Parts: sequence; structure tokens; C-alpha cells
Amino acid sequence: MLTFIGLGLYDERSVTVEGREALADADRAFAEFYTSHLVGATVEELEAYHDIDIEVRDRAGVEQDPGAILDAAEDEHVAFLTAGDTMISTTHVDLRLRAEDRGIETRLIHGVTAQSAASGLTGLQNYRFGKAVTLPFPYVHGGDPVPKSVVDSLEANRELGLHTLVYLDIKVDWEGRRGVEVDGDQYMTADYAAELFAEHWDGDALGVAVCRAGSPDPVVAADRLSALAERDFGDPLHMLIIPGEVHHVEADALSALGGAPEELFDEH
Amino acid sequence: MGNPLGKNTTLLTLLPVDPCIMGRRKKIVQECEKLMDKPEQIRNIAIAAHVDHGKTTLSDNLLAGAGMISDETAGQQLAMDTKEDEQERGITIDAANVSMTHEWEGENHLINLIDTPGHVDFGGDVTRAMRAVDGALVVVDAVEGAMPQTETVLRQALREGVKPALFINKVDRLINELQEGPEEMQKRLVDVISDVNELIRGMTEEKDYDWTVSVEDGTVAFGSALYKWGVSMPSMEETGISFGDIMELERGGDRQELHERTPLSDVVLDMVAEHFPNPLDAQPRRIPTVWRGDSESDLARQMREVDDDGEVVFMATDISMDPHAGEIATGRLFSGTIRKGQELYVSGTAGKNRVQSVGVFMGGEREELDRGVPAGNIAAVTGLRDAIAGSTVSSVEMTPFESIEHISEPVITKSVEAERMDDLPKLIQTLQQVAKEDPTIRIEINEDTGEHLISGQGELHLEVITQRIRDNQGIPVRTGEPIVVYREQVQGESHEVEGVSPNRHNKFYITAEPLSQDIVDSIKLGEISMDMPELERREALQEAGMDKDTSQNVEHIHGTNILIDDTKGIQHLNETMELVIEGLEEALDDGPLAAEPVQGTLLRLHDARLHEDTIHRGPAQVIPATRDAVHRSLIAGQVKLLEPIQNVRIDVASEYMGSASGEIQGRRGRVDDMYQEGDLMVIEGIAPVEEMIGFSSDIRSATEGRASWNTENAGFRVLSDNLQREKIMEIRERKGMKLELSQAIDYI
Repeated sequence: MLTFIGLGLYDERSVTVEGREALADADRAFAEFYTSHLVGATVEELEAYHDIDIEVRDRAGVEQDPGAILDAAEDEHVAFLTAGDTMISTTHVDLRLRAEDRGIETRLIHGVTAQSAASGLTGLQNYRFGKAVTLPFPYVHGGDPVPKSVVDSLEANRELGLHTLVYLDIKVDWEGRRGVEVDGDQYMTADYAAELFAEHWDGDALGVAVCRAGSPDPVVAADRLSALAERDFGDPLHMLIIPGEVHHVEADALSALGGAPEELFDEH
Repeated sequence: MGNPLGKNTTLLTLLPVDPCIMGRRKKIVQECEKLMDKPEQIRNIAIAAHVDHGKTTLSDNLLAGAGMISDETAGQQLAMDTKEDEQERGITIDAANVSMTHEWEGENHLINLIDTPGHVDFGGDVTRAMRAVDGALVVVDAVEGAMPQTETVLRQALREGVKPALFINKVDRLINELQEGPEEMQKRLVDVISDVNELIRGMTEEKDYDWTVSVEDGTVAFGSALYKWGVSMPSMEETGISFGDIMELERGGDRQELHERTPLSDVVLDMVAEHFPNPLDAQPRRIPTVWRGDSESDLARQMREVDDDGEVVFMATDISMDPHAGEIATGRLFSGTIRKGQELYVSGTAGKNRVQSVGVFMGGEREELDRGVPAGNIAAVTGLRDAIAGSTVSSVEMTPFESIEHISEPVITKSVEAERMDDLPKLIQTLQQVAKEDPTIRIEINEDTGEHLISGQGELHLEVITQRIRDNQGIPVRTGEPIVVYREQVQGESHEVEGVSPNRHNKFYITAEPLSQDIVDSIKLGEISMDMPELERREALQEAGMDKDTSQNVEHIHGTNILIDDTKGIQHLNETMELVIEGLEEALDDGPLAAEPVQGTLLRLHDARLHEDTIHRGPAQVIPATRDAVHRSLIAGQVKLLEPIQNVRIDVASEYMGSASGEIQGRRGRVDDMYQEGDLMVIEGIAPVEEMIGFSSDIRSATEGRASWNTENAGFRVLSDNLQREKIMEIRERKGMKLELSQAIDYI
């Protein structure tokens, strides 16, 4: 049995009750934190809270060598953990399909995900989001600072009046590539992302930074991208939303909850 | 010939410097300085020939004629062989540079001369030297005639748009040793000339100029560099000396008189001044062949016009190390004036380098010139720390010159290890320096094992390099046995294979097939590259036999392999292509059989399935997926191991013919031809480089030293089937790879 459990947004307490109970039932627990990361809790704190050993796998340990997880799930109850939701903005459906192929029963316990927080914290309506994108660190791909596919998706969304949720790259245990080395873990900040968009796309466009969703002190800030680029939003994790057409209630929410300057909505 | 280390193996110490020469030298420097500003009076020339045909001896004659070394010692002094190992070995190893003056028709001329090595292992130096000059004095031994390396140097010159003239050397031997009469002699000389012309005609078919040489035009001279006399049709008219006189004086041993009446240096330098183009004539023709930038631009005009007020455009053709001045970049200045203190761009690197000094070469010495060196000259520049042999150095950012074409690829590798751990950093630095100086050398630094690999053109090439590390840098090193470099190549068309990314959300569909030899050759010669404009590349590919559709979809060229993108309208593929190429390059650098480089293979990307988000189609996904797909397509195309081979020519007395040809056949070689030439038998054939290691001493003992021989790298050949598995395993074991092959490799 392989149970996919989303740990939620922030710390050891962000998991659902159902998720906690499923984890308590598990014989073994595996986790990956390269797609996202719980900022408010260490692995040790998670282990202590749930009273179980957690084996953290790197990317190769999940994608290239999932054998250990699947073998264990053949005859034991195995939990596979990620931050947020295990199936949102990840590729773990592959792991689930591999398990199904081997006749292993699988189960999914949803977690609270960034997408939910993005909509929830900002007041931007979930109906009005288009395709989401990830903005990678330029050193990772070595191409244009803002990849063309990111701009394309963003503009396609705007054409339809839709908002774009921009996930910001994280690099955990990154091995480096083509001579680029990184010290420690890297989390892209909303101000850095806003600066990239301001320089390589449109600095006058409206942006909304969503920082530390799920923590006790989340921050929402709405302003022109060029203005967001000047600010410091503190600790990770951050996201950025580029709104499309703004509904009047959305405008009110961005002003009231995100401190958006009034003149940004004058034309509406 | 014979022993590749040449015949002049005695060490010749430079004679004490004659004070009178010191004075003259200073005068020559002043004279050179004056002439530098007059491009119509400048000739930039190279002397090139088959090994031991007498290039360096001829250079010394010219230097002596110009008063730069004493007359008595020319022919023995080898002033241009400045490195100790060159004087010891008696062959020229690097191209060396010198400037001199010569008066012709009442006007003084500045001759910038580059002497080039003739030994096949050092071919890269010759190609680079050709970029710097406008005329090539091709030296051919009258007794041996045109040899394989003669053809190679001619080809190198003509490809660069450098005009040839011919000097037939060692005529004294025809007269004295071979006791030839006037008719025999004449026939022999005519044969040499027509052989050379046949080569020139063959290589300039498509050109609108006729560069064949002839006695009547005065583009051929004869003589003896050893005894310092020479004649040409114009010189014979001028001095009134006849062939009869020459034979009489030569036979009578009156060589001094012969030298005085018709000195070689005058005859040859007259020929140089009269028949070689000056930079004003040469650059308008040469710039389009060596530079692909916009021909309408100001820069192009400045280069064509040799404009000394224009932007600085300098091509470094040689990098050498001076213990005091550091790295010296020598090369041709096509435009502008290069001066101390200038900040110049170096192609392929970021930022600028500051020129520390500028000068010219006088013999082995550099004369710094504070006034700078103007366009049309060969300059020696220090301070260009980022430049390598082949760099374009300029005052504005510009399209770099065509990469200088290396006809030969490295075929032999040796490991080099510092004996003392303390020397490790210095050794790495020296190896990097060596690669900078000679781009035909490849260096692989392995900081983990400390066992670095150095690859070159042959045993001698590597031997010389390691000796220099030992002697010049004073680093005691241990070197491994020479190891042959192999290649891997597909033998047939593969079926379509699928490469899947680790997260299984990305897939690539690839096939592999062999490229035609014509296309491979064109890539090697630089006639097809990713640096050229797309349209030109397409045309060149089609000319080499690629169909039109394929030629339009070329996405990348790596080594002699081509990636074709046959996909249509796949979203996000553009952005992913860089990673596809990275995976492809990794797969091709380390082939699936023995991690040897893959060559001559066309890979076609037919289709791809990509994840929507950049992060899930990043490097960690795409690189392994394409690497895997490329390897599997190569295996599906029955990739095999190739080994380097050499053309071998042996000249031997007929009684030793059997033992000599046995030396080829016994080395998995093949004898293609045997024929009589003069009183010697010539054996021609091919043999694997691996088997040729140690040939030198074996052939000597097999023929009691009566054979002279020559080899030339001739590319790679599929290793015979019964040796494939054994050799692959041997390489894998040496590299510490696992000793089993992928199951799919069931055909060897």
C-alpha cells in the first residue's frame, strides 16, 4: 500500500487530520523536498511530531531509482510525503502509475497547496486563473533571463483576461551544472522575480507577491512589478501572481489585503 | 628523412656574436621600422616543405644575406631553430618568425618571414603560419622530389589564399652524388616542377587565377642551401652565369665562388619581392576567404585597404612563452596600428586585454617598438593573456576570423603526472599553456587522479611537449605509455528509439545514421560549421551531398556529428533544445562502446513530448533523456570502434624491400604500391597508428638503417570485427568502466 500524503503549506501542523492519521498507520515513510519545502519545520521536527522515521529521497532517488519505495510498498504500508499536495505542481503521478503497474494499492490524501493559498490570501478568484508557470533561476537554464515559454503563457493568459500564478524556483541539494555552483539551498524571492519581469517583460504591469502562505505571518503585496522589485519580503517561500483583468471585488481585495495603490485600478 | 629526428642531430652552439653584426642589426631594425609604414614594400612570407628538404637552412641563408647572422655559418647555424630541443633534433618544431630587409630594383623591402616545421606531427603550426602570410616559398629536395608533406603544405597555403613559389634545393647532390649530366638533371627538375604544378592546378581549379609556377616567369629557383648558391631565370640573365658554369664550379668544389657569384639569398629574396603580393594586393583577396563578417562594413574596407588608421584587427597565429615578457602573441595585423596600452577584445572571451608591448622578431629576439606596428605587418604582442593561437584580437567587437583549419586530429594520448605533489598546480598551469600555444594538442585535466591526459599528432609531438615541460619548466614528470585515440561510429541506419526523462514526463524520439565522407571532410576542413551564416551552411551541406530538407533542419554540429531537428511545431522545444544539445554532446563525447568520441554520425530528432512547466523539463530531465536516446540510437545503428591509421611510405634499397614491406604487413598493415624511383624502391601502404608505435627502431634494424620513411595520419578506420570486443574491453578496463556491454550490443 502506498499512500501519498500532502503535508500542507508551512510546518508539521499543516497536514490534514486524515493525513496525520494515515501517517500514524504507516510502517515506513519516504519524503521528497526538492519540489517544495516546509519552511516552518525540519525533518527532525516532523519525525518527532508524527513519531516515525522519514527517509528523505533526492530527485534521483524518486525518479530514477524508485525501487526502494515500491519494494517497501509491496508488503508494507508506505507513506510518500511532499510539502503542499503530492500531485499539484509535481510529476509524482508517475510514481503512482508505477505502483499501480506493480499491483500496489495506492491512496491519495490531499494537502493544502500554494494554489489554494494564492487565491485565498489575495482575493483573486480561482475561476479566473489561467495556466500556471514556474520561473527558473537564470543560471539553471542559461537561456533568456525570463524563458520565452513563461512569457508566452503569461501573455496567453492575459489575452483571455486571466491571472497567472508564477511559482518561484527552489534549488535544494542542487549539484550544479556547466560550471555553475550554488552554496546551500536557494529560494527565489518575489522581489527578485518581480525584477526579472520588470527588466525583461513589463515593469508597469501589476504584480502580487504572496509570501509565507500558511505561516502565522503571511504577506500579500500588490503593486507595479517595478515597485515590488524594490521591496524585501523576508523569509521564503514566495510566489508571484500576475493578474489579468481585475474584477471589481478583486480590486477591492488587492487594495485592502495587499495595499495596492488606488491609481492602479483607476481605469477600471 | 629516415629517423624522424632528422639528420642534423648534432648540437650546434650559437657562435659568439660578432660586434659588426650587432651594429648592422641595429641598422636593420631602424630600416625595418621605416619600411613598416609602406605596405607596398612589405612581403609576408612562410617557408614550408616536407621534413628535411631544407627549410631552415634556406632561412639561415636569407638571414645571412640580410646581414643578420654571419655569412660563414649560414647553413649550419640554424638560427631560426631557437629552442634547444630544435637545435638538438635538427628539425624545426614550432614556426619561428623573423623580419629582414632586402633591396630589389632600387627599393628596399621589408620581408617578414615565418619558418614552419615540416614534420607531419607539427602540421598545426604550418596551418596557423599560413594565416599570417601572403606568399609561401615551397622548398622541394631535388633528389626526393615532391613528397606527401609537400602536398599537405601546398594545400594549406592555397586554402588560405597564400601564393606559392618554388625553390628546388640540394641541386648540388644531383651534380656530385648522383653524377647526373645536364639532360638527366634538367629532366629531373622539370619533373619536380610539373609535379608541383599538378598539385597547384588540382587545388585551385575553381579559382580565377593561375598560380602554377614556371622557370620562365621566375617563380622557380634552384640551388643548394647548404652551399649557399642559387639561380633563377632572371638571376641567370643578370649575372650571366650558365648551367654549365654551375656544374663546373660545383664539380670542381669551388662552391665559395659559386656562392659569391650567385648568392642564394639574393636570388630567392628577389623572387620573393617580385612575385609575392604585398599586403595591399593580398588582403582584398584574402579577407573574404578568412573572414565571414559583413563585406560592406567599414571594418571590411579597412582590412581590404590595410588601413593603419582603422580599427585594430589582429589575428594571433602563434603563442610563445618568454621567461621575462610572459606570453607573446605573434600574428598578422590586418588593419589599424597596434600600440602599447591599447585595450583590445579577444574573440571568445569576455572583457578586454591591455597591450603591454608591441614589437617584431629579429632572429630569435624580439625588438620592442614604442611607436607600435601598423597594418600589413607581423607583430609580436605581449599582454594578451586571453589570446590563444587562432584568436581574433580587435579594438571593436567583431565577427572572429574563420577558425584556422587543422587538417589532422590528435591520434595519440599520453598520461602526464607530476612526480612531486607540490608541482601539481604548476603542471596544470603549464599544460593549459601548452594547449594555448598549440591548438592541435588536447589536454584533459583530471584533478581527482592527478593523471592528466595530453593528446597530439604523434609520438614525437608528445615527446617534444613532455620534454619541454621537464626542461623548460623544470617539472619532473612521469609519463605513461602512448595510447591510441579511438573513435566510435554507426555503421547503418537505426530504427527510431525513445529516450525517456527520469520523471517520465518528457520523451525524445531519435534515429542515427552514418554521414557521408564528403560531409565529414567538409566539417573537418571548416567548410561547414555552425559559425557560418545559415544559408551558406545549407549550400555547403547540399554541395557535400545532403538532401535539401535535411540541410534546412541542422540544429547543431558537434565534432563531425550533426543533429537534425525534424520536429514540427512542438511547443517549448526551442527552449529545451539547449539541454537536448548538452545531453547529445555528453553522449557523443563518451560513446556507448568504450566512452571514446563518436564521429561521422547524423542524429535526427523526430519528435518530442514535453512537460508543460519549465521546471519539470529542466536539465535533470532532458539531459539524461537525450543522452540515453542518443546512445541507444547509436547501438541500434550498430556502432563500432574505429582506430586511427597512417599512410606509410618507405624508400629503401631494393635488397631490403622484402624486410621493409614485411614491417608494414606484420603490423596489420597493407602494402598498396611498390615501385622504383631512381635507385631506390618506394613502398606505399597504410597501417594502424597503434601498430606503428616503435616502428622507427624496428625498420632501422630490419633494413640495417638503409630505409628512410615517412608517415602521415590518414583518419580512422573500422577495427576488424575479430578485434572489436577485445579492444573495447581493453579500453574499458583502462578507464575503470564495467566490463560488460549493454545487452543490445549483440553484433560484436
